[in-house]
Amino acid sequence: MDKVIICRCEEVDLEEIKETISKYQCSAREIKLRTRAGMGYCGGRTCRPALNAIVAEISGEKLRHEIPLKIQPPIRPVSLGKIGG
Amino acid sequence: MTNKNHAEVAIIGGGIVGCAIAYYVSKAGIDCMLIEKGDLASGTSSRCDGNISIVDKDPGFDSLMSLASQELTAELEKDLNLPFEYRSLGSILVCDNDAEMEVAKQWVNIQNQAGLKFKLLDRTDIRQESPYFADDIPGGLECETDSLINPYLFCYSLIDKAKQYGLKLHTRAEVKLVSKKGDFLIETTKGNFTAKKIVNAAGVWSPFIGKMLDIEIPIKPRKGHIMVGGRQKPIIMRNVMEFGYLMNKFQRERIADSKTLKHGVALVLEPTESQNFLIGSSRQFVGFDARIDYDVVQTMARRALRFFPKLDDFNMIRTYTGFRPWTEDHLPIISEVEEVPGFYIAAGHEGDGISLATITGKLIEEMITEKETTISIEPLRYDRFNKNAVTM
Repeated sequence: MDKVIICRCEEVDLEEIKETISKYQCSAREIKLRTRAGMGYCGGRTCRPALNAIVAEISGEKLRHEIPLKIQPPIRPVSLGKIGG
Repeated sequence: MTNKNHAEVAIIGGGIVGCAIAYYVSKAGIDCMLIEKGDLASGTSSRCDGNISIVDKDPGFDSLMSLASQELTAELEKDLNLPFEYRSLGSILVCDNDAEMEVAKQWVNIQNQAGLKFKLLDRTDIRQESPYFADDIPGGLECETDSLINPYLFCYSLIDKAKQYGLKLHTRAEVKLVSKKGDFLIETTKGNFTAKKIVNAAGVWSPFIGKMLDIEIPIKPRKGHIMVGGRQKPIIMRNVMEFGYLMNKFQRERIADSKTLKHGVALVLEPTESQNFLIGSSRQFVGFDARIDYDVVQTMARRALRFFPKLDDFNMIRTYTGFRPWTEDHLPIISEVEEVPGFYIAAGHEGDGISLATITGKLIEEMITEKETTISIEPLRYDRFNKNAVTM
């Protein structure tokens, strides 16, 4: 189970996330920065709910209504030429 | 036994400046705590790029201070245990037109006279830096000693080591009230703390801390946008900025289209160790409004395409904004405050917080231990703004 990949873009598995949480007792955002989980091509749109849930389960931190991990624009990757267009 | 809620020195702010101070002060054997309202590096220090550069500094005090910081950072690469993506490859500036090229020549001469390792680059040199550059770039310049780091990993690494020296870390503790009756009393959302000395390293939020002690700190948020390009093909090995960046930063006259000027847009492209790349930059005074401004992002994309037209099909995966702590004379405040003995300010680095964090940490440690400082601290004094007001 620990070898299961949570963040596919940056290839971060459950084990690495669990170890980081227990070592630093940190928030979902800090887990993201320390492991790069959620920082890849999809911008965390795939793994964010999983990451939040793992942090909530291990740290006992309640899932709040406000979003612990923000999603930044654009909604999907877009070329520099189109943005400049 | 040391008291968890008391320290000789309390640092307010867990950004790169506060973390560097925590490292040097605790390394000096001083009982020290760091109080941060969110997580470590949760403000400007994770919403920026990672340049430790001289290339964008004014020749003179500004550039020599950066050099001191570069030398300290190179030492930290050996001293700290957690890696922070240190890459010492130098950096380059590119010119848009012949007029800028003329200024660049003078710039290289002045910096060389100051003993800094600058070199003029011609059209061919520029093309060798990256196959993606536009053909009509007249040239640029290189600063050999510039380096790149990952700012938030650097914060984590500094704190990791500082804790080994005895640092007490209190995150998610927002400072609500500071008062002084003998010792300082710091009331936070996570309880009360006391300290003999306080260092206000709250960056763009430092004026709020100052106000609690009736100290006015002339720092304003200067917003910047960054776009993140996804992992595709390697574009360039090291950081590149355009010469116009200097003109924007120092608020000097520059030739560019109206939107570029209005939003303070200038090209910065930084390759990151994760193989993404960052594209900047913008400079705006819009208070603490952190929303992405599409007009600014579009202007930045156009500016990037002026220098890198062949990046038009490269995908951008994220955009974010951060607030630089701006001061009127573009130098930070690293100073004790005479009106409140024991109260220090280490803030106002504008876009140079990453570059100048280590020297800032070192200077505060030297001030607290009453040692001779590595560089002169006269130009960094808090009271310089009051003096200016009188003479104006």
